[in-house]
Amino acid sequence: MTVEGLGAQHCAPMAPKSGAAAATPAVELLAVTKRFGNMVAVDGIDLAVREGEFFTLLGASGCGKTTTLRLIAGFELPTGGHIRIGGQDVSEEPAYRRPVHTVFQSYALFPHLTVSENVAFPLRIRRLAAEERRRRVLAALDLVQMSGLQDRRPAQLSGGQQQRVALARALVNEPKVLLLDEPLGALDLKLRKEMQTELKHMQKRLGITFVFVTHDQEEALAMSDRIALMHEGRIVQVDDPTGLYNAPVNRYAAAFIGETNLLSATIDGGDDATLRVRWLGHHVVLNRPAGAAPSGQAVTLAIRPEQIVRAPSPEEERAGGLAVDGVLTESVFIGTDLRLIYRVETGETLICRVQNRAAATPEPGERARLLLPRGALRCLTS
Amino acid sequence: MRRSTRDAAVTSVMLAPAVLILVVFVVMPLCVVAAYSFAQRDAYGGVVPGFTLENYSQLFSGLYWQVFVNSFQLAAWTTILCLLIGYPVAYFIAFRAGRWGPALLVLMLVPFWINFLIRISAWVVLLGRNGLINGGLTAAGLTEAPVGLLGTLGATLVGMVYAFLPLCVFPIYAALQPLDRRLIEAGADLGAGPAETFLRVTLPLSLPGVLAAALFVFVPSMGVFAIPVLLGGGKDIILGNLIVQLFLEFRNIPLGAAVSVAMLGFAALGVVLYMRALSRIEAMR
Repeated sequence: MTVEGLGAQHCAPMAPKSGAAAATPAVELLAVTKRFGNMVAVDGIDLAVREGEFFTLLGASGCGKTTTLRLIAGFELPTGGHIRIGGQDVSEEPAYRRPVHTVFQSYALFPHLTVSENVAFPLRIRRLAAEERRRRVLAALDLVQMSGLQDRRPAQLSGGQQQRVALARALVNEPKVLLLDEPLGALDLKLRKEMQTELKHMQKRLGITFVFVTHDQEEALAMSDRIALMHEGRIVQVDDPTGLYNAPVNRYAAAFIGETNLLSATIDGGDDATLRVRWLGHHVVLNRPAGAAPSGQAVTLAIRPEQIVRAPSPEEERAGGLAVDGVLTESVFIGTDLRLIYRVETGETLICRVQNRAAATPEPGERARLLLPRGALRCLTS
Repeated sequence: MRRSTRDAAVTSVMLAPAVLILVVFVVMPLCVVAAYSFAQRDAYGGVVPGFTLENYSQLFSGLYWQVFVNSFQLAAWTTILCLLIGYPVAYFIAFRAGRWGPALLVLMLVPFWINFLIRISAWVVLLGRNGLINGGLTAAGLTEAPVGLLGTLGATLVGMVYAFLPLCVFPIYAALQPLDRRLIEAGADLGAGPAETFLRVTLPLSLPGVLAAALFVFVPSMGVFAIPVLLGGGKDIILGNLIVQLFLEFRNIPLGAAVSVAMLGFAALGVVLYMRALSRIEAMR
């Protein structure tokens, strides 16, 4: 969406509250655990969401991201630990006393109410005067570009429209934090991309803290200020999108975000600051990561497919890295890119990604020298 | 044979027994009753075929009008009490009973395995002067002499609610059970406390079930006859007793048939009102 169309008075009531101290996290989780019977859904996580940021909980299904969101919303109460919203401990507060609103995956619009009655719901609860209510409902509908459909019932709206109404309903009350549970999951790809941009712009414009849940890494990378990658009820890594992509902390993070070549290597010497790593008889000297043993330890070298250099120049090779010969076994056309799968000396495969230039499409059987540049290699110990 | 013709033939054959039973045991008796209601009575209680509106004009004279009012009041009170008790029960089974829900529903049906008259007679024993309740009250020192419970409107209502409560619980349960729990969460999420969420979300969404429950209780309550006689002492004449008396005691079969037709009309009116209200609710969705 283009937010330019927004009247100034429309977004004024939704501007962020500047009163709260900047250092206080908007949402803070301290050693929060949630058990359902014997099943541990959330396993002692610590998290601090900064005020005004677009924060994403990312992970495969069953990783605990939705439970975490439901804990923040108050639909579930934690088995252990504390939850703070705007510095206030709300661990035991029921959902209706928490200053957060949720956009549900299924939208959860009230089927017996019209669009404007749905959006007015939280204002009615707060006993706002009719005139004020009407004004704010219109402003919120305007914000999500749904003006003109006030009198429709949710059943008469498309999925995309329902989603906008759900957003307006969650924003109209100016929550401190907006929680979004895979809100784009049910939309088709094109609409999804549009809504991603629109949501992102809206969040920046309104300055509201967003806590967004998704299993879609591309969505997370495109929209978030920071991402918490979750796995089996724990947080694997909290970082900004670049950090998460370029500097994964372990094998899981490296494999989950994007495509990665994970190579089994061994530590073969080094000193306090550096590490000599052996892979297929080749050696490379890397910066020493935390927790690396001196010698003999098995480690994983991670490198992104697009960072492998095909047919490197002598200068590039001299700059350091691992250079091997490979035979192309498969070439997959994926639109903007070509995905090339090479078999190297011992039968290991390397996936390589190059931009699609119509002129030269390599054929299987082609031999090539592949350089894994020193700077693109990450040594993972777990 | 073309597929559609064959399907139609199969459908007809399959439906035939049900249609036959309905025609023989429902439609034809109703036609007979309707025909009798326009006939005349001879001096010995027989039916003289003919066509007269005399029965109906007699029906709407002051004497019988009071019977309709009595019946309506009893049915209305029964319906209101059933809804007030049945809704919380249905709500509990749908939302709070968890895996015990289905078992509780079956338990509600258990009394139906026993004959209706026996169950109502049990209430006679319970409420009687030497019954369990009076015995309990006296033993607890709350009363010195047995209280006259039987033969009161209260006793009638207790029996009525007891008899019709399951008919009320089931439709409400059926409306609540599939209700999307996210909607209730959404209510809480938007700041509505439990009471307000109930009034603004749960109750409006379960209204079709409440209407069905009201219909299921109201219609048979209008025609009830054993409960007010056994528990209420049959002091106020209601439609059920009137029909029995007209047929069996006064041997005025045509007038009894007219009362029956009028009662059927009431029930039909109830169904029509229900359908109207339901379609209005549906149109709102």
